[in-house]
Amino acid sequence: MKNLKLKKGLTALISAALVATFAVAVPSSANAAEGCSETGFIDGAKFVAFQKCTGADGNGSKYEIRMPEKFNGMMFLYSHGIRNQVLLPKIPVINPDGVYSVPRSAPEVAPGRTAADQEIIAQTLLKQGYALAGAGVQVNGWSVPEAIEANVNLIVYAKDIFPTISKVVSWGDSLGGHISQSLSEQYGIIDAAANLHMAGTAASQYSYANDVLWMYKTLFDPTIKGNGYTQPEYAGDTRGYMELIGDIGKLLTVLGALSAAISANPLAPAWPASATNAPASLKGIPVRSAILLIGLLAGMPTQSNTYDASSGPKGALETSFGLAISPALAVLENTSTALALGVIGNYDAEMRCGGSIFDNSATDYASRLGDNGDIFAAGLSGKTATAGMLAFLNKLNPVAPRVTASASAVACINNQAAYTGKISVPTITVSQTADQITPAGYIQKMKDLYEASISNGDAKPGLLLNIWNKPPDEYTEFDSAGSPKAATGITTGTSHAMYTNDQIMVIAKLLASAGKSGKLPSIAAAKSALKKDPSMFIDPNFKPALMFQDR
Amino acid sequence: MIRNTRMKRFSIVSAVVAAGAMVLSIMPAQAADPGVTATEIKLGVSTPLTGSAGLAYGKVPGAMKAYFDYINANGGVYGRKIKLVVRDDKYLPTLAATQTTNLILKDNVFALVGALGTATHSKAYTAASLAAKNVPDLFVNTGFSGFGNIAKYPTTFTVLPSYAMEAKIMSKFIKEKFAGQAVALVAQDDEFGVDGVNGFKAGGLTIASTTLYPTSSITDARAKALLTGLSAIPGKPVVVLFGTTDVTALIFKAAESLDLVSKFTWIAGSVGGDANTLLALGVKSTTIDGAIAASFFPDAKDTSDEYVSQFMKINEKYNKGISFDNIVLQGMNSAMLTVQALRAAGKNLTRTGLINAVQNKGAKFASAGRVPLNYSATSHVGYNGYWFGQLNAKGELKPYGGTLSIFTTDSAAGAVEASTFTRPAMPKNGIPTNS
Repeated sequence: MKNLKLKKGLTALISAALVATFAVAVPSSANAAEGCSETGFIDGAKFVAFQKCTGADGNGSKYEIRMPEKFNGMMFLYSHGIRNQVLLPKIPVINPDGVYSVPRSAPEVAPGRTAADQEIIAQTLLKQGYALAGAGVQVNGWSVPEAIEANVNLIVYAKDIFPTISKVVSWGDSLGGHISQSLSEQYGIIDAAANLHMAGTAASQYSYANDVLWMYKTLFDPTIKGNGYTQPEYAGDTRGYMELIGDIGKLLTVLGALSAAISANPLAPAWPASATNAPASLKGIPVRSAILLIGLLAGMPTQSNTYDASSGPKGALETSFGLAISPALAVLENTSTALALGVIGNYDAEMRCGGSIFDNSATDYASRLGDNGDIFAAGLSGKTATAGMLAFLNKLNPVAPRVTASASAVACINNQAAYTGKISVPTITVSQTADQITPAGYIQKMKDLYEASISNGDAKPGLLLNIWNKPPDEYTEFDSAGSPKAATGITTGTSHAMYTNDQIMVIAKLLASAGKSGKLPSIAAAKSALKKDPSMFIDPNFKPALMFQDR
Repeated sequence: MIRNTRMKRFSIVSAVVAAGAMVLSIMPAQAADPGVTATEIKLGVSTPLTGSAGLAYGKVPGAMKAYFDYINANGGVYGRKIKLVVRDDKYLPTLAATQTTNLILKDNVFALVGALGTATHSKAYTAASLAAKNVPDLFVNTGFSGFGNIAKYPTTFTVLPSYAMEAKIMSKFIKEKFAGQAVALVAQDDEFGVDGVNGFKAGGLTIASTTLYPTSSITDARAKALLTGLSAIPGKPVVVLFGTTDVTALIFKAAESLDLVSKFTWIAGSVGGDANTLLALGVKSTTIDGAIAASFFPDAKDTSDEYVSQFMKINEKYNKGISFDNIVLQGMNSAMLTVQALRAAGKNLTRTGLINAVQNKGAKFASAGRVPLNYSATSHVGYNGYWFGQLNAKGELKPYGGTLSIFTTDSAAGAVEASTFTRPAMPKNGIPTNS
């Protein structure tokens, strides 16, 4: 093991991952002009004409509609993912170029990995005769109620302008998926929905992120504030904001220290110097085991963009790496984005709701381990070490103080509009099995809600199709010296990354079919549509573990 | 803000349209269980072929396939040929989950046979939704007592006696044969080792020193440090090695290096005591000479055993180039159990029928095991006993004290009892017709 050096370093991975949470594709400029104009694009030798309408509703949410000249009657309504409400200064790693230093409110009309991809998807659909629409909500962060209202307004407005719109299908990704689903359940104005790696409830998502954040703070740096940021008491009161900025710096320091420690000694990496509360007995356990434990207790995937937990360098270390090291590295890579959501999103939610929304005063973390204690026994450095770490996280440990929420803030976050599972139109979900931001368990929760709605007579069966996107069987690559190489691109099935254009167009086709017929495609038809993509599968029996907050 | 009246009007209209669109999707009719045709039964196994565990256990699927090929050459099962799809999981839980899912969703196997490992199969069972799909999960090579939980693993049948059983029986053996000698236990710090620790406790064995080590953590230096510490125990302590073969080998080699082989009475558990593997991993023959090991099988070198001799013939023809050893014996035995189960399930083969067949008839299946099979509707654990033998320099395991003594027990508080079990005869030519 001594010769195994993670020489590429994890810092680069962490940097990329940390940015990825909020790095959704953003059009280069907002729509300034209001009204409709004729425009188009060249497709080969053909000019595809469409009408582009932009404007804002009475709340200030911007919208965009694209209506093709040869319209088939169906409009795709797209909801984008979460955007940071909190404006950040330029910070190395997180916001080096100031992208997140200015408000973002431009509407988006189609999903895609990049703005260029979004345009490709948009043009492809326009060529097929579909209209497109999307809103740029006036409030960012967890703004589901505002987004739903903006979308409703947009639909009504679009139908006013274009009375030939006979079908509206809704799709969205991440928080946009949540918005799309909620919209489709609540107003009876959507004919079918497709939700891409859809977010769970606000309470569950923030609880997940805060679990990670609290364990990082408790194990690795007790000076991190994490919760209960000072609420502004006067205009220009930046105390809470500065606390947030301070936390970001501390977390980056911890992540950097963990990366460096694992790079130096993957088998027995040392704890960061900032872990001042951890006793020497705890620090005798390789810190990678603590990282893995955090992931398991939070419900985080043990596969990431780079690490598959399924391979190792050829030779004697193959099994050891895959068994004991790779899952921890995967969690570390995944943790970076969860922490971004935790610290920045949590601050935003606290400001929105007026206090701490997280409460782990009664959480029994030890009971969460379950079978994972056996499955990952090697990565956790054995039962004895695991018991020691769990004891440290116990609520009776005075140096691991728990967080108590503000009741009114919890009520506020719980009241954010959410889907209920009362599905009334054909609905498709597509989710990565190793998504660290919106883990697959959120879709399982939706399935359970839907099943309950059917049982209660609130929904009819046969309206939900779950499509899963899994990683390749093995994908971690190693150099000739046996060191893992940082992934240079997006590994399908991981990372909360947007799907490929081909995948998106398959979903669009299924969605359009559902919207047109009022029925889901059969499983056989859906499987046929996906057959060229080995990473996509449909299995009604696939049942990912629920997130802990949802159990 | 767009006017509310307009929204309301539109919502009502849309609601009517949407309500009209709410049509039940038509689900496909219940299809027959996958993996079975008029001419073929497709089975699958996820098991380590490569990596460190592959060195020790990689022969299992090849041995199974060889036996199935032999059966196929002799007419198959009710005219159906058995096809075994093998996927390499490297003994890694995540990969085992992936490969098992692949067996179900991509390969469309009818049933799983001979999966290996506790952590691997535990994760795989859930990930591949084996319970929900009612996939028979036969003859899993693990002794983890947790798989005996039928509510949690309703379709799983393990083949090995549980580690708790082994520890209980070993406790009795040590107390009777080595009374007065201090006992040191060296075990994996996971469910395997914990099962053992619980078994030794239930068996009432006094242990002077317990060392629990995380999997993959034992190095040459750590093994030497461990033995140096244990050498301070006065007299000739009994050292129980309750781990995998690679760790047994590391400790034996450390003992060689420290000249401590003769200091201890060595007892290796069934998982880590395979002589051929130990020799292959570089342990000296003089080191294993005299070491004690637990087993529920005949010794693979015992050509006088009718099962061994028949399986050796099959191996020679259908598994060319592969030396016959305990691992091959284990693989072929599981394959023979599988054939009997398929026969017992009848011509109209279904997953439910196969599960019922093992539950109802599995205890009577012919097998190489020297101890009873224990399958029933309330027990999905296979063998339930052990015998102890002593290795010689050739790697042969001979009954300790010259007489084969079999003991049986359960995984809980039941007594350890001497068994008079008489093994069913090997089916003629190794082709079952009894089920």
